[in-house]
Amino acid sequence: MESRILQLIAALRASGVRVSLAESAEAFSAVDLMGIQHREHFRLSLRTTLIKDARDLPVFDKLFPLFFGSGQPPAMGGNPSDDMTPEEAQMLADALRQFAQNLRQRMQRLMNGEQLSKDELEKLGQMVGLNQTDDLRYQEWMAQRMMRALAFPEVREALRELMEQLKEMGMSRERVEEMRQMIQQNMQGLEQQIRQFAGERIAENLSEQPPSESADNLMNRPFNALADDEKKILQRQVKRLAAALRTRIALRQKRSKSGQLDPKATIRSNLKYHGVPMEIKYRDRTRKPKIVVICDISTSMRFCSELMLSFLFALQGQVRKTHAFAFIDHLESISEDFSGVDADEAIASVLLRMPSGHYNTDLGFSLNDFNSEYLDTLNGQTTLIVVGDGRNNYNDPRLDIFTLMSRRAARTIWLNPEPPVMWHGDSDMPKYAPLCSDVLKVGNLKELIGAVDTLLSV
Amino acid sequence: MNNPFESTGRVKASLNAQKYIASDEIATIVFLAQKLGKPLLTEGPAGVGKTELAKAIAGATGRELIRLQCYEGLDESKALYEWEYSKQLLYTQLLRDKLNDALGKAETLSEAADKLAKEEDVFFSSRFLLQRPLLKAILCDEPTVLLIDEIDRADAEFEAFLLEVLSDFQVSVPELGTLTARHRPFVVLTSNNTRELSEALKRRCLYLFIDYPTLQEELAVVRLKVPELNPKLAQQAVEFVQKLRTTEMRKSPSISETLDWANALVALNAKSLDKQTLQDTLSVLVKHEADLQKAKRQLIAPPPGRGKPDEFGRFSGN
Repeated sequence: MESRILQLIAALRASGVRVSLAESAEAFSAVDLMGIQHREHFRLSLRTTLIKDARDLPVFDKLFPLFFGSGQPPAMGGNPSDDMTPEEAQMLADALRQFAQNLRQRMQRLMNGEQLSKDELEKLGQMVGLNQTDDLRYQEWMAQRMMRALAFPEVREALRELMEQLKEMGMSRERVEEMRQMIQQNMQGLEQQIRQFAGERIAENLSEQPPSESADNLMNRPFNALADDEKKILQRQVKRLAAALRTRIALRQKRSKSGQLDPKATIRSNLKYHGVPMEIKYRDRTRKPKIVVICDISTSMRFCSELMLSFLFALQGQVRKTHAFAFIDHLESISEDFSGVDADEAIASVLLRMPSGHYNTDLGFSLNDFNSEYLDTLNGQTTLIVVGDGRNNYNDPRLDIFTLMSRRAARTIWLNPEPPVMWHGDSDMPKYAPLCSDVLKVGNLKELIGAVDTLLSV
Repeated sequence: MNNPFESTGRVKASLNAQKYIASDEIATIVFLAQKLGKPLLTEGPAGVGKTELAKAIAGATGRELIRLQCYEGLDESKALYEWEYSKQLLYTQLLRDKLNDALGKAETLSEAADKLAKEEDVFFSSRFLLQRPLLKAILCDEPTVLLIDEIDRADAEFEAFLLEVLSDFQVSVPELGTLTARHRPFVVLTSNNTRELSEALKRRCLYLFIDYPTLQEELAVVRLKVPELNPKLAQQAVEFVQKLRTTEMRKSPSISETLDWANALVALNAKSLDKQTLQDTLSVLVKHEADLQKAKRQLIAPPPGRGKPDEFGRFSGN
């Protein structure tokens, strides 16, 4: 039982759930306390100690039955020949005799409602290469292959013929139907057994996998060199990193109080010393920044923008106000999409609204949109962030508007995945760069984190 | 000690006695948290009864409930303790004569200072210590239930501070020394998941996710809390709320809003959920203007000619 629980924990880790040593120890003491007789209690004791995030609950719910069974053996229909009249039994035996030897064997077992033995399942699994599989998405496919190896389709066909034959031999229609149903049920039972076995074996293989590899390495990989599933891993990392970053920034904002003397606070805090000013209080000089972010969400820039937005919205508490805008060929405000929902979903909904075309990125036109509608979001306390590669497809860069914007904002920061040596061709970067207070290269997640950190360190 | 929490069954029964309908899941996890002496972190949408659970636990165990409501900017002096300066000041003023008596006989300045130093403890004693919820839970003579409500609203650094307190239930007050809990309080933390909590905090807690209840559960809650509502109407009302939750809204109605609505229906002496009643009372249930419009459009008066009349046609009152 212990090793089974450990395997479950390993499988959880392999599926991307973070389970610490302390938590697994906790799980064991919870199980000790609740016992394992009551299945539901057992499940809950594991779940409440191992899973600390509502998003991970489905993973647990999927893995748990694979390791600890679904509670009861799959239902078999029973033996149809149990309550047959002797003549009917004779007829059935006659009909069966007319079948090929191996099919007959299988049919016979189906008739008796026998389940597959462990060894047989093991052999079947080997036949279809189950032991090399460690992805739960293949469970159904593997199960199908095992059923095919058992000649399920043929058996099903044979079954139909057998029933026909029995009917011809004069067995009553209802009896045949009854029998057919029972055998059908037996077959479903077997299918379920196979499916369960396939799932269990895959989960076991999964638990032997090292936990999702090297997110740290991925952080150093350039955005455009990431495969889709690697992007997913990073997306998950962003949440955790944002939490760490938030703590750091919050502490910094709290500690760095080095502004002017605050007479009110000083008098108040020195009341305890009878009004003698012993503790001097200062005004809080670090003010949380207001941020206006303009993101390029065309195909080339999308992932970078996504991560940036996830960060900014995870850091809401450390920022006074965020206005987010997205553009491809025109500009739209996307702050609304982010209110209260997960950043991933928000971005998905934005992309649905603004599908990207081919080579239609137009920052100049988008800046014009900004100028006419949202210019008042910029003021002396605002940091303007532009995430984009500055590739404008030879459209008018509208430097006049950008100059106006950067003058209105307190700081203008451009995050660009391309280093300066690549700023040629249709890149307008050399023109925009002098107008920015900072141009930071963010080619991978690590650089992005660094950029967000500097951004909020004021 | 008479402990009503000695088995999951008893947990469930005693929570029920507090008018809190606990599912098996909730009862089991509460039982575990109590046995393992771990804080219980409950998450879920707003208004599903997370805070209510803590109250019910307090009621069932007969313990005092100490509540710490978190908000942005909450710091140690608001959560743990504070010296009561004004009271200290007042005492010094009032005791001036006494002090003069005590110090007057001193020959030299240093002798007076020594004498004063001896009396120092008077001013930094627990008499002048203003206990905030956390310290109160630690110092209480009886075991308590400590509810830390909406922890996700507090700042990250407060969370870090809370970790220390939750791990060993002792705090050090420089002037008094270390204060250790006489009884470990039963700690319940609630979070609406507006932000991610730190891994470290989650690690120390047992986790309970409370979702919107099923129709039967919600009906049971309504019947228990608003017994005046007639059963048939209660059934209809709960079905309506469940239907509302399946439509996409900015804020889905919570159980507490269902209860408010049920109370409103009782107060208005409603006989059935006809169109007029719905129009009048829907704002109790749905708080956003946009949601309100949407609910009216879709559920109360569905535009005619859009396919088959849906199953809630009977609410339209014709």
